[in-house]
Amino acid sequence: MVKWMTKLLVALWWLPLVALAQGQAPATAGSGVRAWNEIKGEKREVLKLQGDVARGEEAFKICQGCHKQGATGSSSGAYPRLAGQHATVLIEQMTDIRSGIRRNPKMAPFADEHVLTTQEIADIARFLQALPIQANLGRGPGNSLDRGKALYEKDCVICHGNKGQGDAEKFFPLVAGQHFKYLLRQAVSIRDGQRGNANPDMAKVLKPYSDGDLEAVADYMSGLAAP
Amino acid sequence: MKSECGGTCANFQSSPWHTGFLIQTAAVLSFLLSGSVQAADSATAKALVVNLCSACHGLDGNSTDPKFPKLAGRHPEYLVRELKEFVSGARKSDIMTPIAKTLDPDEFKGLGEYFGAQKPGSGVVLDQKMAASGMKLYQDGDEERGVPACSGCHSSTGAGSKRFPRLAGQHKEYLIQQMQDFRSDARSGAGSRLMREVTKRLSDDEIKAVAEYLTGL
Repeated sequence: MVKWMTKLLVALWWLPLVALAQGQAPATAGSGVRAWNEIKGEKREVLKLQGDVARGEEAFKICQGCHKQGATGSSSGAYPRLAGQHATVLIEQMTDIRSGIRRNPKMAPFADEHVLTTQEIADIARFLQALPIQANLGRGPGNSLDRGKALYEKDCVICHGNKGQGDAEKFFPLVAGQHFKYLLRQAVSIRDGQRGNANPDMAKVLKPYSDGDLEAVADYMSGLAAP
Repeated sequence: MKSECGGTCANFQSSPWHTGFLIQTAAVLSFLLSGSVQAADSATAKALVVNLCSACHGLDGNSTDPKFPKLAGRHPEYLVRELKEFVSGARKSDIMTPIAKTLDPDEFKGLGEYFGAQKPGSGVVLDQKMAASGMKLYQDGDEERGVPACSGCHSSTGAGSKRFPRLAGQHKEYLIQQMQDFRSDARSGAGSRLMREVTKRLSDDEIKAVAEYLTGL
């Protein structure tokens, strides 16, 4: 009996650690693949800081030339909607673009350390997370929603949630109601290994997807009502 | 408080009436004093403008020579930042650096407030078609090439803010010169990073078009 309980305790003792490890670096797929979203360097610093909404609003002026006032982004897919996105996700993306892990030559100069301070990254993230989400800005054609729904529920729901809400703690983005063309562009880029900071697990899932599959699933996500 | 009245008022300190009176007096004095300091500041600023700035920038900050920028209506904090950068050499200007160095840095704020309070004038648009294409670029940018809308930072009216200068009504020649200087990295300084990048994504014609639009605002 005692032996059995000890075994159980030892087994349970590991659980929180495993959960923690998954939360911080969910995908450490096979050998040779870089761990996804390592919490180190500036990212670690920013995540420790308390963001300020008013300061974030001021600093976001630098970004709104592209992401638009209210952070609505663009239905052309050139710029994503940022309003309502999880602060953790925004911090991850901004710091990855700054460090060059996510290559984005259009944006990088504007997120440069000479332009934005480490504190301002936290401020902007906090400001954007609190912004109201405008519904259905850039919906897809809507002609393959059933196929998109089936694919989403098979492969995407486990991380991005049944409403496309993502998971702030695990750095999984809110995808519901994002511009169709932006979702599609990123999905293609992740499948084809072009997005530097892509989650390797997601790249693996998307590998067998055809262009039509990606279109269908982006179509479905863009039509989901943001929470 | 104690040093103001020295030993003479030590006897009154226990009386609440006297304490109240002293506080009132001190408050009135400090109000009058701060008022006169402010008045002195703006008088100094006005004298400086008359003697030092007006020959180029105009007495009301609306220069007539397009080589020199209009300063009327600019945010005081922006003007202070630029003066500091002329002194430190972060922003280079053969004309402004020696002039800024003759100033006491305490005088920057008064100058900023003086020019900020002046009514900005507009320029004249000569080519409406060009101004229209400049407006498009200024307000919307160009997504294809990653050109941000200028209005994102400088505001849709071109009024600017404490971090970004007012552009509305500025001389087009001056605007074109500055954009070209950003593009060739000749204009440096803390705030220049963004503009050096943006202007490298613009053609000569686009720079002219944006300037044509802005001067009419």
